[in-house]
Amino acid sequence: MTDMLGGLAQEVVSGIALGCIYALIALGFTLIYKATEVVNFAQGELMMVGAYVNFFIVTALLDIPMLDGALGFLLAFAGAVAFAFLFGTFLDLIINRPLKDEPVFSVIMATISMAIILRAVMALIAGPMTRLPLSPFGSGVIKVGGLFISVHDLFIISSAIVLVCGFYYFFNRTKWGIAMKATSEDPMAASLVGIPVKKVYRNVWIFSMVVATIGGVLLAPRTLLDTNMGFLGLKAFPAAVLGGFGSVPGAIVGGVIMGVIETVSMGTLSFYFPWVKEINDIVVWIVLIAVLMIRPAGILGREEIERV
Amino acid sequence: MKGRYDEENLKWIAPLIILVIVLPFLLRGATFSYRYYLYVLNIAGIYTILTVGLDLLSGYTGLISLGHAGFLAIGAYTSAVLVDQAGVPFGLSLIVSPLITGLFGILVGFPALRISGMYLGLTTMGFGFIVRRLIIALRTWTEGSAGLEVSKPVLFGFTFANDWHNYFLIYLFVIVVVVFARRVMKSKIGRALMAIRDSEHAAQAVGINLVRYKLFAFFLSAVLAGLAGVLFAHTMRFISTDHFDILLSIYFLIMVLVGGVATIYGAVLGTLFIVLLDFLAIPLFKDWLASFMAVQVADIQSLIFGCIMFLFIIFQPMGLYGMWLKMRIYWKLFPFNPKIKQT
Repeated sequence: MTDMLGGLAQEVVSGIALGCIYALIALGFTLIYKATEVVNFAQGELMMVGAYVNFFIVTALLDIPMLDGALGFLLAFAGAVAFAFLFGTFLDLIINRPLKDEPVFSVIMATISMAIILRAVMALIAGPMTRLPLSPFGSGVIKVGGLFISVHDLFIISSAIVLVCGFYYFFNRTKWGIAMKATSEDPMAASLVGIPVKKVYRNVWIFSMVVATIGGVLLAPRTLLDTNMGFLGLKAFPAAVLGGFGSVPGAIVGGVIMGVIETVSMGTLSFYFPWVKEINDIVVWIVLIAVLMIRPAGILGREEIERV
Repeated sequence: MKGRYDEENLKWIAPLIILVIVLPFLLRGATFSYRYYLYVLNIAGIYTILTVGLDLLSGYTGLISLGHAGFLAIGAYTSAVLVDQAGVPFGLSLIVSPLITGLFGILVGFPALRISGMYLGLTTMGFGFIVRRLIIALRTWTEGSAGLEVSKPVLFGFTFANDWHNYFLIYLFVIVVVVFARRVMKSKIGRALMAIRDSEHAAQAVGINLVRYKLFAFFLSAVLAGLAGVLFAHTMRFISTDHFDILLSIYFLIMVLVGGVATIYGAVLGTLFIVLLDFLAIPLFKDWLASFMAVQVADIQSLIFGCIMFLFIIFQPMGLYGMWLKMRIYWKLFPFNPKIKQT
């Protein structure tokens, strides 16, 4: 009995780590949705691009004797974030600007085709091989009261918490954050009160690309780096919806719930129903649909009340 | 009531139907590999039946579905199991399987009464995932992920033995479905659905029963997808879960969008365009590219596909049908074109 409980606790812990990964991606979805009401289907691919850029710089720096350790990693990380700034600006320029008067549906389709393009371009540049980047935090494991957790997972969890708190503060307390919220309510009214709407849009895309890069850099050592990494975006999408699309704390709530459900159901149910392969996928979706039936805007999402 | 533009559209229908009938003969006369072209056209035809249904649901009613591959799968597997394992004749399965798929459509439609927008897109996407998993789980009937071989379609004692026969079977349904969808959308039902898309509150205020019409939209769309599924199973003669990927659902939406949202003809054009691009144009192009670049062919294929999609959405958001309308107006006004300012 204690054995089973211990196993369950271990699964919950690894579920939380997995959930924080989802939360990092979901946060990117949330940022863009919050300001532009666009669901960015390329979020997973943006993460992949960020991870690859970081990996390329790290391998390039390996040859320089001074820079093959932590310093090199930090430099590479800074480089990847700088690239994220440029790339975010570029995405705003080619996706958001030309389509700003089109229905949201078209913009979503544009992000889907952007996802296809990015995956193909990355495959052409990087080749079909799967890479294994080393974790900058080493491969240590901490044991707390019979539970194991790797140092790397701890970093993932803490950075997810830091980012979510940071963005929560940003959206509720700072001038730019409130300007972004106002823009999503009504771009016309926002520009009338002097909010530079174009700049807001650009910053949103940059932020979300930076968040994606941070997520990608943290994820790559855990999930292996190949061009299919972007499909994680499709799994983080339900997490974002479960927590409430457009809600910053919702990203981490939804992510953790999804992650825990996934690992726990994999650990327990697949034992009793061996004939259903990957039962965790089904359970995740059923939970999601059930939650949406009860709370149509997700757990922390606010239902939009329309004025007629 | 018939408007002026209705009659103008009708003028094109007879020549188009004749073209559909003559096309395979033209192809046989013109090329050696006409069987492959027919195969591609058949796929396009099957997908057209589905995308017309998707256009009714997502284009006209505004209920986004990212799970239509799931309906396609249900139709295909239901018919395969009914015909090959329960001994139901194909003709009966052609009616029963779409109706069963329609029931699933109503089941998926219930969440749509409360959920809207991207949340609904996600729910339907979840439905697509669950269908795939269930097909793998029910392997007593479906052979799991190994795939299932399906018998040839037999109708009134006639066996549709090859792509040549299948072409006429499929395009008969395409024409019926397109005409039917046009008529439905011009009827009271279609106008009610469009009213729901434009404003649910206003629609409710003028007495449109939201529950009934939304469920009906899902039912109709799923029936058409199920019909496409039946034809898919029996003309491709092999189905497996790989044929009903989540990406396929997204591609269906892209087809509707490229053709032009909320115009039945747009769905037809978009599907033809994407399928022909995917099966005919890109293979030609990629061989040429691969001849001087040492890269994975599949990557180039998806790169070109993605780029065309992207450029299309940026520069031609009204879709192919919108392009055609613009061209028609341009020709009609020819020497006296007003300069249309793009806003």
